[in-house]
Amino acid sequence: MYNTERRPSMAERRPSIIASSAQYSSSSLVVPHLAGIEDPLPDTTPDKVDVLIAGTGMVESVLAAALAWQGSSVLHIDQNDYYGDTSATLTVDQLKRWVSQINETMLPCYSNAKLYVSNAIGNDNRKYISRDFGIDLSPKFLFAKSDLLSILVKSRVHQYLEFQSLSTFHTYENDSFEKLTNTKQEIFTNQNLPLMTKRNLMRFIKFVLDWEKHPQIWEPYATKSITEFLIEKFNLEPAQVNELIFSIGLCYTADTKVPHALQRIRRYLISFDVYGPFPVLYSKFGGPGELSQGFCRSAAVAGATYKLNEKLQSFDPTTKVATFTDGSKVMVSEKVIMSPTQAPRSHKHVPKQNFEIHRLTCVVEKSCSEWFTNNESGAVIVFPPGSLKSGNKRVVQALILGSGSECCPSGTCIWYLSTTEQGDRAEMDLDAALEAMEISIIRESSTDIVNDEDIVQITDNGQTVVNSVKLGQSFREYYPREPVQHLLKLYYTQHTSTPPFDIVAPSLFENETTIRANKLNKFTAEAGDNGVMYTAMPSTEISYDEVVTAAKLLYEKIVGSDDDFFDVDFEDEEEMMSNPPPAKYENAIIDDEDADHDMDADSSEFVGEMEI
Amino acid sequence: MLQFKLVLLGDSSVGKSSIVNRFVKDSFEDLRESTIGAAFLSQTIKLNDNGKEVIVKFEIWDTAGQERYKSLAPMYYRNANAALVVYDITELDSLNKAKTWVEELKNKVGDDNIVIYLVGNKLDVCEKDSSKRLVSLEGAKEYAKEQGLLFIETSAKTGANIKETFQEIGEKLYDIKKTEVNTDLDGNTGEIEISKPSTNDTTSCCS
Repeated sequence: MYNTERRPSMAERRPSIIASSAQYSSSSLVVPHLAGIEDPLPDTTPDKVDVLIAGTGMVESVLAAALAWQGSSVLHIDQNDYYGDTSATLTVDQLKRWVSQINETMLPCYSNAKLYVSNAIGNDNRKYISRDFGIDLSPKFLFAKSDLLSILVKSRVHQYLEFQSLSTFHTYENDSFEKLTNTKQEIFTNQNLPLMTKRNLMRFIKFVLDWEKHPQIWEPYATKSITEFLIEKFNLEPAQVNELIFSIGLCYTADTKVPHALQRIRRYLISFDVYGPFPVLYSKFGGPGELSQGFCRSAAVAGATYKLNEKLQSFDPTTKVATFTDGSKVMVSEKVIMSPTQAPRSHKHVPKQNFEIHRLTCVVEKSCSEWFTNNESGAVIVFPPGSLKSGNKRVVQALILGSGSECCPSGTCIWYLSTTEQGDRAEMDLDAALEAMEISIIRESSTDIVNDEDIVQITDNGQTVVNSVKLGQSFREYYPREPVQHLLKLYYTQHTSTPPFDIVAPSLFENETTIRANKLNKFTAEAGDNGVMYTAMPSTEISYDEVVTAAKLLYEKIVGSDDDFFDVDFEDEEEMMSNPPPAKYENAIIDDEDADHDMDADSSEFVGEMEI
Repeated sequence: MLQFKLVLLGDSSVGKSSIVNRFVKDSFEDLRESTIGAAFLSQTIKLNDNGKEVIVKFEIWDTAGQERYKSLAPMYYRNANAALVVYDITELDSLNKAKTWVEELKNKVGDDNIVIYLVGNKLDVCEKDSSKRLVSLEGAKEYAKEQGLLFIETSAKTGANIKETFQEIGEKLYDIKKTEVNTDLDGNTGEIEISKPSTNDTTSCCS
């Protein structure tokens, strides 16, 4: 668009490239393998940078890496002494400090933080220590086919991280957890599904994989709810409708609009089998906190400067000088980008955060392995509207991470519950969901039952085998003798400008109007954040889907175009030679259009199966 | 093949990157260096275990400048098997800084889990002009002994003791690994390699 001449990128600026630039005349840049650690670094803070970014949350970190690799000089700061900001993964001690910051109202965009920490966690010979735990402030998982995943691979940031699969999605229904029927095979082998239902379900799945190509089917329902559409158009039963909307689609209400819901249901289905029989992944040692660190490291390798414990005091858009609270200054030639949580004390332009996300994070002293598939350590539990005692109107979503995720010690488990319900009702819903989960895990893991031959089978070698699926039913009346031990319980409300569901829209950054006013020298007197562009707080979205969109939008506003967003190829001799990637590799995760071809192939498989 | 993560710590300009470059680019021409662009460097070395050749691969993480304001991320230290804490023998203060990095490392990682090597770099400068040496060999050695660290002086410029340092770390780590060999040499951790999508569709029963 208004793209003027592009700054030379990191790769182009390297002497080794300039010397042999003829070889690298193609558009994709090759970065030599020692890039970033070849040259000694300057000793002092740069006195002039292109972009200043405050806050090391997911979006800011992806943006910093993209800009640094594109060739911009970036100073990336955070007021905290840890990485991650709104996306941080915190130890128990850090969490205590974070909560008191909120309650002293030193941290905008959060409120109502309440933290309980059991005395089993401490520093002197207690059972657990603070750093045994990594608690995510905005827990998220990664769809196997998603823009962030492509960028993780392309930028090589994935090499700093370890990923694990998550295949179990439970829907809470009639006071028990139903494991999701989410594979073609399961649909066909599930004895509980009547033939007609199987047929209808398969017909819907075939349609949704390329729903955009069949407007004749969905357009008449474009402004209607997905529930109505699934029942009227595909004759699906309530149980399947709930699973499709809430567990597969991860929607928040039953009246989600048809196109939105279809897109989300498709997202789950196309992510299945990209790496194996599961739709999502999560990163070990912490979610967004780890990913943020990875992108920050990548940005640093590309030349960005990092400074924690640094806070902006004010930015003067006329002189372009940013002043920090420690008295140091830097000249910013292009833009100051800032997370609302990092706003200077004298801020006047922080966008209104109109939406609430209520979160309840609970660490329990149970492994919860009953909820996981073999060898996995994560699960998702969804409580559809009306399924809880509280009469919840909106969904409560729970991400469960066990000790295999390395976020908590063996024998414990972290439950992340959240809801888009607003106001006081939200906490009631979260409490009801927590109670339902506690009752369920006690039923399923209880060992106080002996000598009941109906439920407990004794094998030849005398081992007791308890069938967890049957237990859910048989123990409806069972009252737990031992309640679930809470090691940590944290309630908080996060505020965001992103409406539940509208994944980041350009308009979110349109407080550019204030920036335009700034250009005309209409600055707000006494404001420390004139001319600053704020990023959006994380939305309620439980996947990372918004992150790249938001980072790209900001990138375009700074660079003028998003053409070269992470347009970097790394030199990689060994892997290329010894391990040629499968032919399908590039297309399988990066290119959506080609994916559609793959999907077509899959669809014909469905047809084949239908005729069995 | 055994693989170990090795991190470098120390103030900026003590020569951390030069040490890595000397080791990775120079020392082992006969073994391919594997190159991982923006992520980290790796280099393999050969060890001799009673006549049996053992190959050990180092995954070497450099700070990428994030140490300048003590802005290293927990990710950097995590699961590190060994750390080179580097100081400059011509800079008096750099040993004190190295000591704070050792503290930091012990706080973040726990010292029974990691082999720490204290490295005094820029030996070449002092060999030319002994008046340039400002950190005494004995003082540093004594500190290393107190703290239970390995210790050496090197020159990344001439290559002196660089190869030997990594070789010694390799042997040390190999010995540690051998004693715990029953734990998991290639246990299934459930980790997914995301740059390698699966090619076989396990749910299609008709293919």
